[in-house]
Amino acid sequence: MDIHVSNINKSFDQHPVIKDVTFTIPSGEICCLLGPSGSGKTTLIRLMIGAITAEEGTIHYGDVQIPNLSVLKNVGLMPQNEALYDDLSGEANLYFFGGLYDIGKRDLKERIEEVLAIVDLTEHRKKLVKNFSGGMKKRLSLAAAILHSPKILFLDEPTVGIDPVLRRSIWEQFRMIKNSGTTIIVSTHVMDEVTECDQAALIYNGRLIDYNTVPHLLEKTENGRVEELFLMASTQAKGGEDS
Amino acid sequence: MMHLAKRVIRQTINDKRSLMMILVAPLLILTLVYLLLGDSDYVPTVGIEKEALPDPLITALEEQDVKLKNLTSDEVKEAKSYLNDHENVDAILSFSQDEKMEITLYEPSTKGANAASEIQEAMTSLNPSAGIEMAYVYGDQDQSTFDSLGYVFLALFSFFLVFIISGMALVRERSGGTLERLLMTPIKRSEVILGYTIGYGVFAIVQAILIVLYSIYVLQLSSAGNIGWILLTMVLLAGTAVLFGATISVFASSELQVVQMIPFTIIPQVFFSGLIPLDLIPYGLGNLSYIMPIYYGAAAIKGVMVYGDGFLEIWPYILGLFIFAFVLFLINTQALKKFRKL
Repeated sequence: MDIHVSNINKSFDQHPVIKDVTFTIPSGEICCLLGPSGSGKTTLIRLMIGAITAEEGTIHYGDVQIPNLSVLKNVGLMPQNEALYDDLSGEANLYFFGGLYDIGKRDLKERIEEVLAIVDLTEHRKKLVKNFSGGMKKRLSLAAAILHSPKILFLDEPTVGIDPVLRRSIWEQFRMIKNSGTTIIVSTHVMDEVTECDQAALIYNGRLIDYNTVPHLLEKTENGRVEELFLMASTQAKGGEDS
Repeated sequence: MMHLAKRVIRQTINDKRSLMMILVAPLLILTLVYLLLGDSDYVPTVGIEKEALPDPLITALEEQDVKLKNLTSDEVKEAKSYLNDHENVDAILSFSQDEKMEITLYEPSTKGANAASEIQEAMTSLNPSAGIEMAYVYGDQDQSTFDSLGYVFLALFSFFLVFIISGMALVRERSGGTLERLLMTPIKRSEVILGYTIGYGVFAIVQAILIVLYSIYVLQLSSAGNIGWILLTMVLLAGTAVLFGATISVFASSELQVVQMIPFTIIPQVFFSGLIPLDLIPYGLGNLSYIMPIYYGAAAIKGVMVYGDGFLEIWPYILGLFIFAFVLFLINTQALKKFRKL
């Protein structure tokens, strides 16, 4: 299911946040939304998922226009903050979110074993989330997002505040999920994560500055370093505003 | 929907503080109110100058529940300054020059009123034709404040405590992002609100049963009518409180702000709950009670406990609560549109 975003405009309190964004994410790829804080990455994700509606433009998953209640069962979201219930155990959190997708009892139990193993939390399953460490919460949050085997997975800054070792293991999990046929949209402002993705969308000030495969984007830079993409984004945006 | 209700129940059980607040706090406060407003065995002290009063009056006073203290005629003349210096004397009884009885009290308080009424009873026993026998259609003269106002507290607790817990839990869901995550599943908005109401409704039922049994069997609060109707009203009121808490949480961005709004959300309802008879409230402000859910709950509970009403008499109040709950339910499902348009 390709994701088509066409001519999206969105403003909050008459302040434009997303300006005329158009791009297509091919099915089964990892696409990263790269941009500084406040550039509109989270808003774009919320638009693409159908939580908010755009003033102009349309978003389609294949032929289905978003927002649509029935496509939500094929969509997973890992929000920026953990968004878990502190007073429940890790396992109880998963049982709750899984229950909302109408997964049968036995299937759900099996699937929870599976995702707990994927995020390496099997031994902490009975612990209350309020006693979890930050990294454990992130992993449980990811487990909750992939529980229903979504075809499209949105990850909003999944590795913020995560140490390099854990970050590597989380990215390994993303690749695994991708290999099972899931399209992944991940927002980040961490440079080295870009090279892990297939496509990258550079967002600056609500505008889509560039969108291409990562090798193509890197070719455009002088020394092939990812930081260049970022600096390019800011200078291009300034140039664009002057003209 | 049931998943959500089950989660609310499990979450509340895991949070010991919320559980105590729902189940133990109302019993504790009720006991306190019972002790504070219940029958007191205070015996007032009256100062008199024995020589100056007729003997039959002194005998009559001695038969009442008062302690008598003999004072000199100077002390009686300077009654006010004597009372000022002697806190343990509540009243001084004397005859003025024109042979009228004179009672001097320290301040207008229940203690003083107590002393005055004992003196009056002594006078009545001397002159039976001056006595007044009072009769009530409901209740009787010896009822303590707790007996006659207990129903208000039943209504208040079932509303207030559930309101606080559900309001805070929903604010936490909004600010913690779990509500957003919840709405990214195919659940309907109305199911979210219903699930919440059912989840907390279970605690409301347990709480109502506990409160009613405790106040009737332990605190001896008497009910003229069937306690089943009291339970029904309390559960409905608590259900309204869950929805009210959810609505208030829309306007709050932290748990603290829910507490900050209590002066606007709860305290006015306390005054209009029936604690003060509505006809006594000036400028027609008593009519404000019709927009306050606690009023409907308290009025229905009063009907059952005091007048012995059944469903035929209390149904307008029950209907009022239903309408409140329904309107709040609609507001809440609309408010969730902020997180998901569908």
